Amino acid sequence: MSRPLIILDNGAHTAKVGVLHKHEEPLIVQNAVARSKGDKRTYFGHEIALCRDYSSLNYRLPFEKGYLVDWDAQKAVWDGIFSTEVLSIDTTQASLLLTEPYFNLPNIQDIYDQMIFEEYEFHSYYRCTPASMISSGLLFSSPDLPPAVCTIVVDSGFSFTHIVPIINGQIIWKAVKRLDVGGKLLTNHLKELVSFRQWNMMDETFIMNQVKETCCFVSTNFQQDTETCRIDPKRNPVVQEYILPDLSTNRKGRVRRTDDIVAEADQILVMNNERFTVPELLFRPDDIGLDQAGLASTIATSISLLPSDLQGMFWANIGLIGGNSKFRGLHDRLLAELRTLAPVGCEVLIYESADPVIEVYKSAYAFAATNSDVGAADVGFLPRAITKAEYMENGSSISRRKFRDWKSAEELEREAYGLADNQTPLVDLGQEASAVEGAAVSQKERDNRKESKKASGRGRHQREEPRSTQRGADRSQQGPMPTTNQSVGSRPTRNRTIRAGGVK
Amino acid sequence: MPPKPGKKQLARQAAAAAQALAPEVIAKRTKKHLDELERSNYAEPTLLAGVGEEDEEGGNKYGKGRGRQTISDKRQLDIPGNSPAARKKKSTMNVRTALLYRKNLATLIEESNITALPSNIPTYLTAVAPPSPYPPRLICSVCGYKGSYKCRRCAMPYCDLNCESVHAETRCERRVI
Repeated sequence: MSRPLIILDNGAHTAKVGVLHKHEEPLIVQNAVARSKGDKRTYFGHEIALCRDYSSLNYRLPFEKGYLVDWDAQKAVWDGIFSTEVLSIDTTQASLLLTEPYFNLPNIQDIYDQMIFEEYEFHSYYRCTPASMISSGLLFSSPDLPPAVCTIVVDSGFSFTHIVPIINGQIIWKAVKRLDVGGKLLTNHLKELVSFRQWNMMDETFIMNQVKETCCFVSTNFQQDTETCRIDPKRNPVVQEYILPDLSTNRKGRVRRTDDIVAEADQILVMNNERFTVPELLFRPDDIGLDQAGLASTIATSISLLPSDLQGMFWANIGLIGGNSKFRGLHDRLLAELRTLAPVGCEVLIYESADPVIEVYKSAYAFAATNSDVGAADVGFLPRAITKAEYMENGSSISRRKFRDWKSAEELEREAYGLADNQTPLVDLGQEASAVEGAAVSQKERDNRKESKKASGRGRHQREEPRSTQRGADRSQQGPMPTTNQSVGSRPTRNRTIRAGGVK
Repeated sequence: MPPKPGKKQLARQAAAAAQALAPEVIAKRTKKHLDELERSNYAEPTLLAGVGEEDEEGGNKYGKGRGRQTISDKRQLDIPGNSPAARKKKSTMNVRTALLYRKNLATLIEESNITALPSNIPTYLTAVAPPSPYPPRLICSVCGYKGSYKCRRCAMPYCDLNCESVHAETRCERRVI
């Protein structure tokens, strides 16, 4: 018997859903209920793709500021997904892997459980954060290197951006930071700018979203680009003209190329400095008065909350996921800013995936595919899921116990470092970190590696000697750590060649 | 030594200072703007989708005192199986409460009591990014370039005289509460 397993990456903008072993690529469904004034009907979730007249689409989103508050709308979207129109699955016979936002509130989590078990009557489910799935995926993998142990996942989505450090597959909640800039803020900001300067687009969220995704980029040198735009607003390398979609003839919006002949009736949107000032908010939220540090500074803050000996490894393993990370030029700009914030001699590497939107789905797919049928070992979906029978007997307390998230932050930290139960993490910044590092250092000494080049760039990376000194006494006290020894220590052994520059 | 300001000059300076906006007003305005940016034209939560001011669909409105209905009930979907979602059974009390009575995020945060947790547990509120180490750079509110000067009445930045006149005509007074 094989129960179908539904993987649902429930995002605030789109829900990525599919069935294990059936959908390698997810179906992407807009997670919203939209009312069209032109068509005078309401579209739920997947029906939005069928909408012809997408001007003045009035949205009702289940998510508010990143958390699921409107269950009515969410149920409407989920009903559509499980119905014969999309997945056509009998939920009473299926299992579910669901993602929830970081720091999800306990009262909201209870409602998740109620919905899943009492309304849809799933057989079992597992609810987790998106970043916890990334370790099972391919984001940080390089062809012949073992999987990364210490990684930072930058999840920049619709509602906000989180910086999530992960050690050995466990999230270090103490160091997770949230930046309240997401795709929604950027689209609304663009709407305001354009409405003030050109056409009134305050109602046209859908169209402005398309404009943002087509035209906007992140500039590497803000002052210089501003000057370029200012000198000649009509003819400079940055300005682009966007021809707004024509709904009567069903023409899509597009950027005007130089040889395009524009009809009289076409409305043109001139995108000059809006092209890069809008995504600039990711790096300087104080441009609109939001008193938070930018993305690079927040990453630096998050890393500084981690043990000092491991920080070098974190700088070298930064991964970007989430739709908001798709801006052109984001990688280069982030690298440049991080380079100035990282300690001297520390290399900075940023990993991206081909499609950041479905990266979590693919990682969750890999996670669920590991012995989803066998169920004996302690990896994969089955041991972590809770069944309906367990829920009916225990209520939401079983999910609080089994789905370990930010509430059990300390316990998870201990597990991440491979410590015994009576040792507390991060008490003395040197001590515990050296337990993980100690193994690495000894292995390195055995290999007698020496390398000095520091290179930042994509692709194959080189390890830099972390600056931990001999801590013989501490190491003997901690005892052998089999798991961390292998995963951390083995990395340096493989990487002996020294490569110059960013070679892919 | 530079000459001391005379009585007239002091009076002018005092008048100018009195006209400028107090920082609390500016902070309140910024916060209101940010809240707008978070929401901005997505449907107001008090309306049910399918029910609008001009809509004739005959949905139930809150004000009329009739029972509330959910939008998810209104669809003609075919869901396999016999869960309450597939309409084969009645939904439980918990589910019905959750569907009908929507709370906004601020209420939920208060109810969740995360402020009462011990300080070593990180929560949604503690995870916010730290304030920026750099001072904010002023951006002209009209054209988007470097805003070197600030409006005297409402403290919005502008870059040159053209932008100042545009600002004064269009949105200066409106912004000042």
